Amino acid sequence: MWVKNLLYVCGKELKRTLSDVGVLVFFIIVPLLYPLLYAYLYSREVVREVPVVVVDECRSTTSREFLRKSDATPDLKIVSYCSDMEEARNLMRRHKAYGVIHIPAEFERKLSEGRQATVNLYCDMSGLLYYKAMLSGCTIVSLEMNRDIQMQRLSGLSDWEKDTMTMPIENEYVTMFNPTNGFQAFLIPAVLILVLQQTLVLGVAMLAGTENERRRSGALILGEEYGNPMVVLAGKGLAYLLVYGFTATYVLCFVPWLFHMPQLWQLPTLVAFIVPFLLASIFFAICISFFVRDRESCFLLFVFVSVPLIFMSGISWPTSNMPAFWKVLAQFFPSTHGVNGFARINTAGALLQDVRIESISLWILTGVYFMLSLFIYERMYRSDKMPGVEFVMAMRTRVRRDIRVAARDIKEAGQELKEKLEQRKKD
Amino acid sequence: MSGTKQGFLAVVRREILRMQSRPLYGLSMIFAPLFCFVFFTSLMREGLPESLPAGVVDEDNTPVSRSILRNLDSYQQTEIIRQYSNFAEAREALQKNEIYGFFYIPKGTQEKASSQEQPKISIYTNSAYLIPSSLLYRDMKTMATMASAAVGREVLLAKGANMDQAMGFLQPIKMDMRPLGNPWLNYNVYLSNTMLPAVLALMILMVTCFSIHTELKDGTAREWLSLSGDNILKAVSAKLFPQTMLFSLMAIIYLVLLYGWMGFPLHNGFWPMFAAAELLILASQGFAVFIASAIPSLRWSLSLCTLWGVLSIPISGFSFPVMGMPAPLQALSYLFPLRYYFLIYVDQALNGVPLVYSAWFYVAMIAFIILPLVDISLLRKAAHEYTYLP
Repeated sequence: MWVKNLLYVCGKELKRTLSDVGVLVFFIIVPLLYPLLYAYLYSREVVREVPVVVVDECRSTTSREFLRKSDATPDLKIVSYCSDMEEARNLMRRHKAYGVIHIPAEFERKLSEGRQATVNLYCDMSGLLYYKAMLSGCTIVSLEMNRDIQMQRLSGLSDWEKDTMTMPIENEYVTMFNPTNGFQAFLIPAVLILVLQQTLVLGVAMLAGTENERRRSGALILGEEYGNPMVVLAGKGLAYLLVYGFTATYVLCFVPWLFHMPQLWQLPTLVAFIVPFLLASIFFAICISFFVRDRESCFLLFVFVSVPLIFMSGISWPTSNMPAFWKVLAQFFPSTHGVNGFARINTAGALLQDVRIESISLWILTGVYFMLSLFIYERMYRSDKMPGVEFVMAMRTRVRRDIRVAARDIKEAGQELKEKLEQRKKD
Repeated sequence: MSGTKQGFLAVVRREILRMQSRPLYGLSMIFAPLFCFVFFTSLMREGLPESLPAGVVDEDNTPVSRSILRNLDSYQQTEIIRQYSNFAEAREALQKNEIYGFFYIPKGTQEKASSQEQPKISIYTNSAYLIPSSLLYRDMKTMATMASAAVGREVLLAKGANMDQAMGFLQPIKMDMRPLGNPWLNYNVYLSNTMLPAVLALMILMVTCFSIHTELKDGTAREWLSLSGDNILKAVSAKLFPQTMLFSLMAIIYLVLLYGWMGFPLHNGFWPMFAAAELLILASQGFAVFIASAIPSLRWSLSLCTLWGVLSIPISGFSFPVMGMPAPLQALSYLFPLRYYFLIYVDQALNGVPLVYSAWFYVAMIAFIILPLVDISLLRKAAHEYTYLP
């Protein structure tokens, strides 16, 4: 019997979802287009050919070699040679350049004396990527030239001297999991997960809002299949899960493939991780949808949350350095665990045991939000199918009354204490 | 004349009552921006993440490699928390997010160092987490350079070279980075300066569109219009006036928070940024009215405004520069008020450039304010004829 009811509710919910253009926008169109837009935005991964200007006060062969090589790196592009810093600064003000390479007059002399010579790099800090491009471009050039200079100096020595000479130890840099060190491979996995959660929240909230509108106008009549809250929630959850099975496949598998992003996941791990993520998101969405009064308010209530949520996930600002309060709050959102798990499964090839903590957290959240939804729904149902808003209002009045009572008690207790103290003073 | 004034005020009064009647307005106009202001500024209050966990792998295990390890002094931003016995173990720790990066000293380092070959130690970072990874890289690169220099220096100094000569041999050309405007590379400066106005602009776009279209949806549009003497321009401006005031208050709060409380760079004083914030509010409202008039459907116009608000964050170019985006998106970036706000901020607050260099950005914002003049007559028509379709 309950299986039949569950399937009935599920079918009804699917029908309602698929016939509501507003909900379809969230469930299908936004997940379809938004990730494409975002991935396209970051498709070049890094900034290349950052325009810089040069102030070369040395004008020697070495300084010119340095500049020529810097210009040849993919990071930098020399757009102008200036006679002094003031001219260079002027070009930066007009956004013609984002940095200055300044070679001091004593550059060559210092090198020929065997001392350390300095190249000054001034960088516009409106974007950290300019800084990064300048630093990495010039560092590559200086390392290369340093090696040549060392070889030259060594060539004058005898073999015995060379043997006893220690070569300086070099270092090389390997970026793991994100070979171009790019923005796309770093940010897009987080965006994809967030798109899934947020469109679910918006769509489910819109459905609930519509239901509440109709309930208010008396147009909502539910069949007896809606008698058991557990069955209703499970049925609705199943309906959303079916829709999001397709949406998630597209968003998490097709989009990264289309943009040639790193995709190191293994199917069993991915499925075993994404299912609890979707379930947690679904019941999280159902849970907060009880508070939505009409169709369109979900925009105003939930869209902005995406911005802090992406930061709470720790994909940008590291979790290890977040204030404890935000770290704790972040645990309540499926996206936090979803982003961290998926980023590692997708980009770093992690297996299920590597993302065990995230996976368990998602199952816990699924349980918590299911129970919470059940609790709210049951209350609604018991008090004569009380619609969401009225339920919230009733809860609010009750809480307010409790607070008032508590406040009065505290006040009375305080007064009593005061009187006692005064009494004692008098004594 | 007094009649028109009464009309304006009447609509203002009516709007204030409408705003009070629904908690939704309070949530989206006061709570949402304030929450994000507090969130972003407190999240990154360190400015730069400190003590990021890193590891080391020493597969050489010789006096040279051990001396490198000894010389890997901890930096403020990097903390070496563990030594792993082999590469695989370190990689696993990286995958589990225990560390963000590690040093790898391969077998044969000492042998190479003494036989004229170029020995190498490798720095691995998990770039799936770009910010900690880049910061670690910067620190680890310096640490590796300093450590190997220390090792080489010991040898050279023992041979009778002085410090100057030793460094001149080990690193003949040295880079000296001088970041302008934000010498601390402070992430809070870099992100909050744009994130805070971005969230405010997003809320303005949505609230403006929503509040206009709910009049149509609830069938109160005709009443609203007649109260302003059937003058749509007056009706809209009077309706939005109390919202403008409230949003301005929010703007002042974030300006004081950023430049007063947090002490972020503000080279040209308060007024250029205050003007930018006010213009951002008005430009966002103007853009939303333009969309609300052009698209006579609450859902679709609200969707477009939302898209615009959310998209304006990456496309403003504060995290990933516009010049690195594909050409069509570079062109599209001109259609976002936040883009101009960001450019003004860079000039006026961060770099302290004379106001004249930013003049065009201010002008562009003003263009957004007068944009609704193009199609506002459509809104008037809609107010008379509209029926709501869910």
